Amino acid sequence: MTQLNLAVIIKLEPDFSEGSVSYNPDGTLNRAETKSTLGPHSAVAAKAAFYAKVRYGARIAVTTMGPPMGEMALQQAQQTCDAEELHLYSDRIFAGADTLATAEVLRAGIQKLEDKADIVFSGHRASDGETGQTGPQTAWKLGYTFFGNVIDYHVDVQTRTITIKRIVSLQGFYDVVEEVQAPLPVFIAIDPSYKATFNTVSERLAYEKYQKEAKIRADNYKQYLKVFNVQQLGVDQTLVGLPGSPTIVYKVERIPKGKANRKAEVLDGSNPEHIRKAVSKIKEALSAMVIK
Amino acid sequence: MEKYDVAIIGGGSAGLAALKQLSNLGKQAVLIEGGHKVGTKNLSGGILYSKKPKRGKVFNVEDVYGDAFFTDKPFERKITSYILHAASKNKIYSMDLTAAHDYEANFGYSVLLNKLNAWFAKQALESAQKLGGGIIPGVHVNSISWDAQTGKTTITTDELEEFEVKAIIAADGVNSEVAEICGVRPKFTPSQLYQGVKVVVKVPEEIINERFGVESGEGAAHLFSGDVTLNHIGGGFLYTNSNTLSLGAVYHFDSLLSNPTDPSSLINALIANPYVSEFLKDQIPLRKEIDKSLPQEEQMRVRFAVAKLIKTWYELRDAALSPTGRENLIKSGKYSSAEEIKEKLTFIQDQLTQKYGVSFVTDYNESEYGAKLIPDGKRCRMKKPYFKNILFVGDAAGRGIFIGPRIEGLNVGIDDAVRAANAVAASLDKNNFELKNLGESYSFAVEQSPYTKDMTEIDKDYLKIFLDAAKDVPKDIIGSRYGPIIKLMSSGTFRSVAVKFANILGYDRLLPMVESEDTYVKVPILIAERLGKAVNSTYLPSIPSLAQRIAKLNYDDDKQSHIKVIDNKTEFMKKLTILCPTKCYTLENDQVMLAHEGCIECGTCSQETDWKHPRGEKGINYQYG
Repeated sequence: MTQLNLAVIIKLEPDFSEGSVSYNPDGTLNRAETKSTLGPHSAVAAKAAFYAKVRYGARIAVTTMGPPMGEMALQQAQQTCDAEELHLYSDRIFAGADTLATAEVLRAGIQKLEDKADIVFSGHRASDGETGQTGPQTAWKLGYTFFGNVIDYHVDVQTRTITIKRIVSLQGFYDVVEEVQAPLPVFIAIDPSYKATFNTVSERLAYEKYQKEAKIRADNYKQYLKVFNVQQLGVDQTLVGLPGSPTIVYKVERIPKGKANRKAEVLDGSNPEHIRKAVSKIKEALSAMVIK
Repeated sequence: MEKYDVAIIGGGSAGLAALKQLSNLGKQAVLIEGGHKVGTKNLSGGILYSKKPKRGKVFNVEDVYGDAFFTDKPFERKITSYILHAASKNKIYSMDLTAAHDYEANFGYSVLLNKLNAWFAKQALESAQKLGGGIIPGVHVNSISWDAQTGKTTITTDELEEFEVKAIIAADGVNSEVAEICGVRPKFTPSQLYQGVKVVVKVPEEIINERFGVESGEGAAHLFSGDVTLNHIGGGFLYTNSNTLSLGAVYHFDSLLSNPTDPSSLINALIANPYVSEFLKDQIPLRKEIDKSLPQEEQMRVRFAVAKLIKTWYELRDAALSPTGRENLIKSGKYSSAEEIKEKLTFIQDQLTQKYGVSFVTDYNESEYGAKLIPDGKRCRMKKPYFKNILFVGDAAGRGIFIGPRIEGLNVGIDDAVRAANAVAASLDKNNFELKNLGESYSFAVEQSPYTKDMTEIDKDYLKIFLDAAKDVPKDIIGSRYGPIIKLMSSGTFRSVAVKFANILGYDRLLPMVESEDTYVKVPILIAERLGKAVNSTYLPSIPSLAQRIAKLNYDDDKQSHIKVIDNKTEFMKKLTILCPTKCYTLENDQVMLAHEGCIECGTCSQETDWKHPRGEKGINYQYG
């Protein structure tokens, strides 16, 4: 069987889970206080790549652009997908990059991988920027066929073709599943609803084996990590970082709070009188409903 | 279709031992487990024995896993004292049965199955993977079929594509679905089963040491009879783990059916006993009601801060009161000395009391409630534990030892598993899976096991130890009923004759005489009242309600029910509204309804329901087991 090579682009993002996130008094994110973690969409991308590891024994590389701390996200992704190669593109020059300048760095990085990537995975979008542009732009720069909202895929390793399923909304109908076949290489932005399923005993055995391997590798992730600065990456400095960014974040505004149209009443669960009140309210609501 | 040599169904202690033994013999096997992880669906009272019978050989845990078992220590404590108590109200009379516990034993360790089976799994998986096998969690087997022409065995599951195997080891527990699928035996009946309920209670390690008079690493086992049984045949137990206690009640299912009692109240009766409650007690932080006049954000902040501080207090206290815990904390670099840990603990405690009005009261801290059915090997062991190319082991084969205070299951399952694995390996070598070669040779091997002998005959030497321990009990208490028997049994020569005679009679005829309300309830109450020491409780344990107990459990709910009531008007089902350990059934208009799915998969109701294990990954996830 010929080898299948995958790359996953990921992002270190603020951890929005409870207890980790911290806000400034004005309601904006306090980046210094907030912990960082592998973005949830990036994690789905890593899971999607792991599927190919289990099914086809694929070789996986995970890449990210970010501060030195980004290696944390790489380690987390490695634990998910059992990657053989980790790339961190880190340089002060990269700071202030918009999606296009980021895509340029990722493009250069992916082309520096030990083996040419047959499939590149990205998340649906980042949970902090939420533009969903970096993936498609990287695909365009790489010259790869791009598929977004992918929920399932199968590879014919011999003929080097991929069959993907993607969720699209079509003429007002949501959740139409489109099945597309394409020659490799391709770029896949994975849909958040993606869930890998392993249906045979051999796949399950491989799954357990690679998961164990992933844990061991992630414990020694430095061994797999390569860090590149702008020179090492060999990118045109005018195309990266702030100078390479045609867009900037000019202003962030809070989303105006929608006007509540429900009247809420706070009840004390330990007070029987309040419970009685709640029950009678529920009864009232139910009696108004027509049950067919 | 994918093909494998052997499938082991069920990842409990027996199934895992089979996998490890097959791997040790260089044979490929895959183990299919329903839980999302091995060990999450297993529950045991909690002692794993290693035995050295005078006659014959058994396969022990260390024979399967080697010295790693002693170096990795996946167990809790080595039980060094074994005591039987007779209880009546606040009076307790104790008999030291350590000699009976040590009888023919290399050791008996207290264990928590979640941890123990996870360790077994790690060892077995490592060996199995080298041979192309392994463990597949989260898969529920729903059928097995044999091709009429070729005899090829196909396993069908809820989750995976069908696959073919040459032989199967069924280790799917007391409610074996494999046994049901192939119809090799009827479901076990109430007279063949015990129902066990257990709670895990947290107590710091060094407090356990002091209270039970043991060193770290050593432990005690206490058994209870008398009024704590609420007039049922069976008893209570209290085992020491590293930093928890296993407190449980095991009763004849028959006895429970004839006088239905809510299983959680059987546990509660033990907790309420002053002698027991003194073992369980600990310092418990009690939160102050939050001042509702404070702004909502402040209320939230206080609630959050108190929760976090209490959590830290528990963790730190647990570590501070354990030699290895202190060592680990110092090693981690967070603290420089034991004093510093103590200071920090006092600091947190002060903060809780002074800043947040938390008071520290004497109470007990219950962590996990669980239940399981236990097969009484004397009554229900499968005489021929095989069907075609399927071998049944452990609970699935109805094999467990229950002789008075002698309760063994895990070691029996491991011994069976090794015998099954050996038989399968020999069949693989010959590529012959016919009954004569596989099933019957396994059955023969199991018959040779000293454990099988224990399930069929009385051991007069064991009986002597037991009688010696009871020698201080005045004969008149035991009464006219047992007087002559005891007298007869106490004399060496007569005992041999009597036991021989008894063994001719057989367990079937003897058991109703010995396993009676007199033995487990009335006589112990008399003993305790006459000879017992009075113990007074220093506190009133606040026992959680069943709802609170269920709320603490961790489930992966399944939209699809795994229980179907067949007839909702039978007497049995009506009794189930009381006997289900999590009260899954209610009675509405004289009909039994499945009220909720807080099912902990004990199978108590399986006799008259269409009961299956939940689909893969679904259902209960025990944290301790």
